[in-house]
Order: sequence, then C-alpha cells, then structure tokens
Amino acid sequence: MIIDDPNSHFIFLFHPNIYSGEKYTIYNGKEMTNAQVMEYWGKWLVLARRERLDELAAKLDRFVEARLIPCIKYDRRPSQNLGMEECVMMVYCDFRKRDQVWTLLKKQGVKLKAWVTEKETMQLWMPGSPLLERWMESKGLDGPTKELVREDAGRRLKHIMENPDEIFSPWEQ
Amino acid sequence: MAVTVILPGSLKDWFDGTDEVSCRPDTLGKCFEDLAARYPVFASKLYDEQGNISNLLIFVNGDNAAKGKWLATPLADGDEVGIIPLAAGG
Repeated sequence: MIIDDPNSHFIFLFHPNIYSGEKYTIYNGKEMTNAQVMEYWGKWLVLARRERLDELAAKLDRFVEARLIPCIKYDRRPSQNLGMEECVMMVYCDFRKRDQVWTLLKKQGVKLKAWVTEKETMQLWMPGSPLLERWMESKGLDGPTKELVREDAGRRLKHIMENPDEIFSPWEQ
Repeated sequence: MAVTVILPGSLKDWFDGTDEVSCRPDTLGKCFEDLAARYPVFASKLYDEQGNISNLLIFVNGDNAAKGKWLATPLADGDEVGIIPLAAGG
C-alpha cells in the first residue's frame, strides 16, 4: 500500500496491517528488540529522480503486500537543504534477508548496491554529527533550539542502547 | 576484468557525464587516486576542507566501506564500488 500524504516529506510503502498496529520490524513473525534492530536492521538505498522512484514504488508495492519487503520510504522531493539533487528511496529489511530483497531491486534495474545498517544511520544522526549539524543549520534553528535537538537525539539513542530487550519502536517521521 | 565504480545520476558530472567507470583492482585508495587523476571534477570534490572524505558514502559490493582504515580496503577483479552523497544515508 502506497501512502502518499502531501503533508509528509516522505512517501511510504507499508503492508495494510500497519493500521491494525502491526510493526514492520519483524523477523520470522516476531517483533524485533532494540538489540536485534541494531544488529540486523538496515536498508538498501536507491537514488534517482522522483519519477523513476514513483515507477519503482509501483512495481515494488506487490512485494510489500506479500511481506517480502517490510517497508519502503522515499523522498517527495530532493533534500536540497542537505545538498541532495536526487530523491532517495530506502528499502528496509533484515540483514538476513537483504540478498533476497536486493534480487528484487536488481530485477527492477537498480544497479548501485548500497546497504546502510540502522546502527550506521543512527551514527550519521548522532549529536555532533555533520549531517545533524547541517540539517539544523538548513532549518535556521537558533543556538538553544539546536541544543534541544542534540539532547533529544542523544536521549533517543541512549534509550535504545540502554534497553536492548525492549521491543523496537520506530521514530516518528 | 576490472573494478566497476557505479555512481548515481547526481554525481555523473564528476565523471564526464557517465554513471559507470572502472579502475584497476588494488585498494580503494589506489582506485580513488586513479579516478582523481582521470576525472578532475571528482578530484576537486573528493576531499573536504580538512582533507578528509567526509561528504560521501562508499560501498564495496554493497557494504559501507567507511570503517577504520577503509582506503586500504582491497579490491579484486569484478568488485563493485558505489559512491553516493553522505546525506543519502540518513
């Protein structure tokens, strides 16, 4: 199911059961813990123009419906505030199933193979990281607000690290 | 055979308008030296003001190579290197 809300920066592909509370961070039918997500969860990245990603999303939706791909999100427009000229699609899955998911992407003509783990993503956005600093600068945040954002990012990461057995809750987008 | 380097459309201008180039199998560092010698725009964009490669994510056969002494990562015949802007990884 493609969820295209014009108020959101992202366009999502989820299984419809997401609306009945089902999480997408599931492996072999069980919800994943924070520790499992840190160890296994990640995403294939696909960079392209919006039109190409719309076409790709339409073709991949059936794999999301069949639960072969847990979820996908992609940019409505390039994140120019972060220096991006293309939209990015993130095709999420468990590391143990990433080859299967890559095969689906390759069949749709994706050539550039780029896997980023959830842990690496969090490191890219941790307090003091160039990406978080650039994002805050682009939003024109003042000093005290920047500090609040850094504290919030740090608190979220700390919570995940300190509660490895807790069921993972995705961040709001 | 050689190592294939694959770029997204937004980086094609760095490589004379192509999204696929090749380098000799050696290390990632040697591959970048080779590419920088052939593609001046890539050479000018590769390093930040501090001389680090901080604005890109580099993948070898799909895996993020930017860990530890990553420029020493060995490349073999048939390997694929992907280069994308850092911000795409978020």
